[in-house]
Amino acid sequence: MDITLVLSALKVVGYGLGAIGPGIGIGIACYGCCVATARQPELQGRLFTNFIIGAALAEALALIGFVLTFIL
Amino acid sequence: MNPLETLANEVPHLQHSFDSAFVFGPVTQYVFWMAICLALTLIVVLVAGRKLKLVPHNKFVNMVEYGYEFVRKDMGENAIGHGYQKHIPFLATLFFFILISNVVGLIPGCKTPTGTISVTWALALISFVYFNYYGIKARGGLGYLKSIAPSGLPKVMVPVIWFFEFISLVLRLLTLAVRLYGNMFAGHMVLGIFALATSVFITSAAQNVAFGAVSVGWFALLIAMYALECLVAFLQAYVFTILSAVYVSLATSEH
Repeated sequence: MDITLVLSALKVVGYGLGAIGPGIGIGIACYGCCVATARQPELQGRLFTNFIIGAALAEALALIGFVLTFIL
Repeated sequence: MNPLETLANEVPHLQHSFDSAFVFGPVTQYVFWMAICLALTLIVVLVAGRKLKLVPHNKFVNMVEYGYEFVRKDMGENAIGHGYQKHIPFLATLFFFILISNVVGLIPGCKTPTGTISVTWALALISFVYFNYYGIKARGGLGYLKSIAPSGLPKVMVPVIWFFEFISLVLRLLTLAVRLYGNMFAGHMVLGIFALATSVFITSAAQNVAFGAVSVGWFALLIAMYALECLVAFLQAYVFTILSAVYVSLATSEH
């Protein structure tokens, strides 16, 4: 089997594995944001900003994986 | 010939069309479209701001003012809080430029300037320099470096936390750039593959009618993805701007 093909396929698999954690993390963060907004709708702006910060931090891991797929 | 094989042969051509090819002289296609988007942004803002009234009756002016209010209220006031007024021009410029770039990319035949990493690096670098500059201005150089670690930690933990927070500070540059680039590039690649699949399956419908029926499915997928991309075009402009606002507020807030 062609070794370069296997290597490029493995890179994509690695990215997929790296995206699992951030996916779960953002899902939990979004759940928390929705639940908290439903309980106290007047805090929506503040909660949403916090959600965006948390999602950005979690997403950084997936984005590093995305970059590594290209540069390795 | 099997249409799936034709599709696999055509995909490298599609990938090649995303490379920054030279249009004329030293101008690549992305630079060309970026110039067009900058001109469009300028025209939109100048035309809307030409005759400012308390109650505008022009639909176009209303639309642009709604966008501006959106930046001012949802991003500036909510994310930055006290003293947000002086950051609004920067945030609104970022928002309108990225939004117009993303929307221009949705028109078939046009390229989005944010679909190349060079443009998004530049945008992220501008944002990075901007919030660091205001952080240093608000606290002084040493005070800003100290404030990277949150206050109220035990003394032993401070260097460790400071180190991790510093890495996450530098990573903001990377994530801002790659988030925008990745979303736009991947979205356009998917649209391109679905469009390619539709045309490949339609041309092989002459051999077998079943391929023609499958191409209808590809076309439905293309329309669905296009609708999603319309949402993503707005969402990425929003996320980029609100993250810049949040970073400014983190750098300048009192505690």
